[in-house]
Amino acid sequence: MLDAFSRTVVTADAKGAAIGSEDLADLRKYVADANKRIDATLAITQNVSCIAADAVAGMVCENTGLTQPGGHCYPTRRMAACLRDGEIILRYVSYALLAGDPSVLEDRCLNGLKETYLALGVPTSNAIRAVEIMKIATVAIMTETNTGRKMFKGINSGSGAQCQDIAAEAASYFDLVIEALS
Amino acid sequence: MKSAVTTVVSAADAAGRFPSMSDFESVKGSFDRAKARLEAAEKLASCLDKFTNLAVDAVYQNGSYEQTNKDKCVRDIHHYLRLINYCLVTGGTGPLDEWGISGMREIIRIQLLPTAAYIEAFIFIRDEIKISDVMSQQAETEFKGLLDYLINALA
Repeated sequence: MLDAFSRTVVTADAKGAAIGSEDLADLRKYVADANKRIDATLAITQNVSCIAADAVAGMVCENTGLTQPGGHCYPTRRMAACLRDGEIILRYVSYALLAGDPSVLEDRCLNGLKETYLALGVPTSNAIRAVEIMKIATVAIMTETNTGRKMFKGINSGSGAQCQDIAAEAASYFDLVIEALS
Repeated sequence: MKSAVTTVVSAADAAGRFPSMSDFESVKGSFDRAKARLEAAEKLASCLDKFTNLAVDAVYQNGSYEQTNKDKCVRDIHHYLRLINYCLVTGGTGPLDEWGISGMREIIRIQLLPTAAYIEAFIFIRDEIKISDVMSQQAETEFKGLLDYLINALA
């Protein structure tokens, strides 16, 4: 597993070069944005059930056959598995966001996920739709562009508008999940 | 590779939980120290060749080691300083441990190189070179801590 720092190290070692001023600029930004990054991660961890449940509900609403007898979310045991997987994906996205590097998500969550779903008969197109909704919801909560009240309490006073860059980074991690399932 | 963040994430993942408030605190703690580390890494990168040459020249000038080994010594000291540069960036001893220390004793022995010369060179860098001229005191502390770690591992 790598983070933003060790990713730079591994890249530099492949070239056999020491890490100088140019490479350090990105890391300094990562350090400077630490509070925003923690706030953005809190936006996920404080709303896990909400994000996952909404995404699965949205997926079912668009495809009502899923919860009917014979559908992939019938009986409730399979619906529960679906909610659980939504939370697991969110958990790995929150790790990747905190580390500033997708390696933990790729190694521990996405590697073999599609194969597992195919073997279990989970329809990946529906799974992808649920991930898309999670992405939209997460970004909205992070940047405080969701309708209604502010959904998370960060550790610094900054507003969600300052989380724009990091929300874009979080969105890219959800895109990796979608890519892995496609 | 081990760093403050990956340690926290590994532990959270092993327990199957989301990062907690105490995880964030520990990550933040490492970020607070990151400024000095990154400064040390930057300054070390710009002085890598200078430090290496000063140290190796000092160690080899008194003639107690075979001069034929000198260029190998330069190569290795340079390599180790680069790993220290990486450690300063990661904020842990991961790069030194994984790429510099495990298996190192065996390799040095097989090549019949004097470990003592290496240790002397690193002690020279730590004690004789005026590191404070190129970096701040906090950065110097970070750098010297890693030099000490390496010297102990070699000894």
